[in-house]
Amino acid sequence: MKKNYLLITALLMWSLAPFLWQVYTSFSTPEALINPLLKVGNRWTLENYIQVINSEPPFWRYLINSTIVGINATLITLILAIPSAYAINKVKNKIAQSLKVLLLLASLFPYVLLFLSLLEIARKFNLGNSLITLSIPYAALSLPLAILLLSSAFKDLPKDLEEAAIIEGIGMFQRIRWILIPLIAPATASTGIIVFLFTWNEYPIALTWISNIDLITLPVAIARIAGSSVYSIPYGAFAAATVLGAIPLMLIVLLFQKQIISGLTQGAIKG
Amino acid sequence: MTLTISKISRRINQNWIIRDLSFQVNKGECLALLGPSGCGKSSTLRLIAGLDSPNEGKVYINDQDVTDIPPVERRIGMVFQSYALFPHLSIFSNLALGLKVRGVSEKQQIERVSSILSVVQLEHLSNRLPSELSGGQRQRVALARALLRDPHVYLLDEPMSNLDAQLREELRPELRRLILKGSQPVLYVTHDQQEAMAMADRIAVLKNGELEQIGTPLELYKDPKSFFVASFIGRPQINKLPIKNNIISAIRPESIYIDSNGISCKVIETEWLGMNKLVFLDSNIGNIRMICASNIKINEKLSISWDKSEELHFDATSEKRLT
Repeated sequence: MKKNYLLITALLMWSLAPFLWQVYTSFSTPEALINPLLKVGNRWTLENYIQVINSEPPFWRYLINSTIVGINATLITLILAIPSAYAINKVKNKIAQSLKVLLLLASLFPYVLLFLSLLEIARKFNLGNSLITLSIPYAALSLPLAILLLSSAFKDLPKDLEEAAIIEGIGMFQRIRWILIPLIAPATASTGIIVFLFTWNEYPIALTWISNIDLITLPVAIARIAGSSVYSIPYGAFAAATVLGAIPLMLIVLLFQKQIISGLTQGAIKG
Repeated sequence: MTLTISKISRRINQNWIIRDLSFQVNKGECLALLGPSGCGKSSTLRLIAGLDSPNEGKVYINDQDVTDIPPVERRIGMVFQSYALFPHLSIFSNLALGLKVRGVSEKQQIERVSSILSVVQLEHLSNRLPSELSGGQRQRVALARALLRDPHVYLLDEPMSNLDAQLREELRPELRRLILKGSQPVLYVTHDQQEAMAMADRIAVLKNGELEQIGTPLELYKDPKSFFVASFIGRPQINKLPIKNNIISAIRPESIYIDSNGISCKVIETEWLGMNKLVFLDSNIGNIRMICASNIKINEKLSISWDKSEELHFDATSEKRLT
């Protein structure tokens, strides 16, 4: 038992080490980072956080921007992915099968290769500098994986349930709305979080589509802090910004913990 | 009200699941579809419910051709082996959902659901989720849902296979009281010959998607048309005697009696049946099953006999009954 405990702690430290290092850096003075012999009393500071929060525009602005884009992109993705996942699972012919392969290929495609052409599209259709339009490419890029994840959730549902509903006279849309969507809620939650995480972390598209400083998203803002001085890299402020940026994600994961885990293990065990 | 199946066939790719199957279930009658797994009995049910369509043949409900009509309009009361209750909805909502989509007013929904819940004696559980109920209670909710549908036909797909033996016996009278007493035809799918004998007015035995024999339980027992039916109906299983002149002879264990002038045998195994024992005998005509008084012991020597007129004879190649 004790041995297990030690092993788990070691694993935890291994996984958490980079993040803990980040937190440590965010509370350290610049001197402390390069001089391990510095006295303990001189090592700690809140200056990095004060600097980040008091910047112009204030840091919470970027948090809000990222949240808006993230929620938007997640909603668009789920609204489009749920019906397609249902349909692709229902239709049992060669077209649906090859569609699944195509989706898999699309979800594996390195999206970074697309950002230049996406930028051209943004310029042509005047989609730049808007948080709403920025969620469109995000939703588009997330769709293939979302459809695949949700279609496997639909596939794992017992067939009897939908057939019982058919016999009861419950129409297709009502069936999806009242029976199937509630039953795939765990998968929907984990899919939603994957999409949200992607938009939260996405950099090249956000950088090229948005130039208005009041509308930039978190990764772009953090990168600006890192590049804000020609003569030094403000490691402390940089670390403080990433810690602040990670807090909302941790909250979401804690909040949806149960759904994420049951979503990820869905189909592993027959009910 | 009647249910008629006329020459239906269904195949998946090149494999016939059901082949040229016809039968009729009359008003108030319960027909059991009996057969080993994979014989096409559940597939037949799905064709009648409209969940699949036949490649050939017609389905009639009350003499109306429903082959191309969607499941909703067929008005089927179906009970699934898995119960198929919606796991995220309370018992009340499970029952009310169908009424709601069929446009029944909210007041009526509450009235009808509570009255049906009192019929199946589950009023006190109406706010529970299906997962909080026992298997027997869940099955009663499933029956209640089928009843609420006010159907033209009841289709029961192995309704009690997930329940333990004791609960099955408890639920049988309930099933008779709720569903079999009505005027609707009932199709009862099962792989358990004992259940088919207990519940059905007539039994249709299926083998490889084809109708092997249809008749009352007694007819199938007394007068099986093939060796398959003879060995499927009746427990303990019928004894197959050595083949002579391309003829299979068979004798039921319950027809065999102890007779000092008969065939000598040795007891190799016994099983308690309660009052008496199922005894496995070794003899020069092979292994024989018979039912004996409970004082028989292993390795005991016995002589047995039976009335020749009780023997059933089948052609050894086609396994069809010879008369």
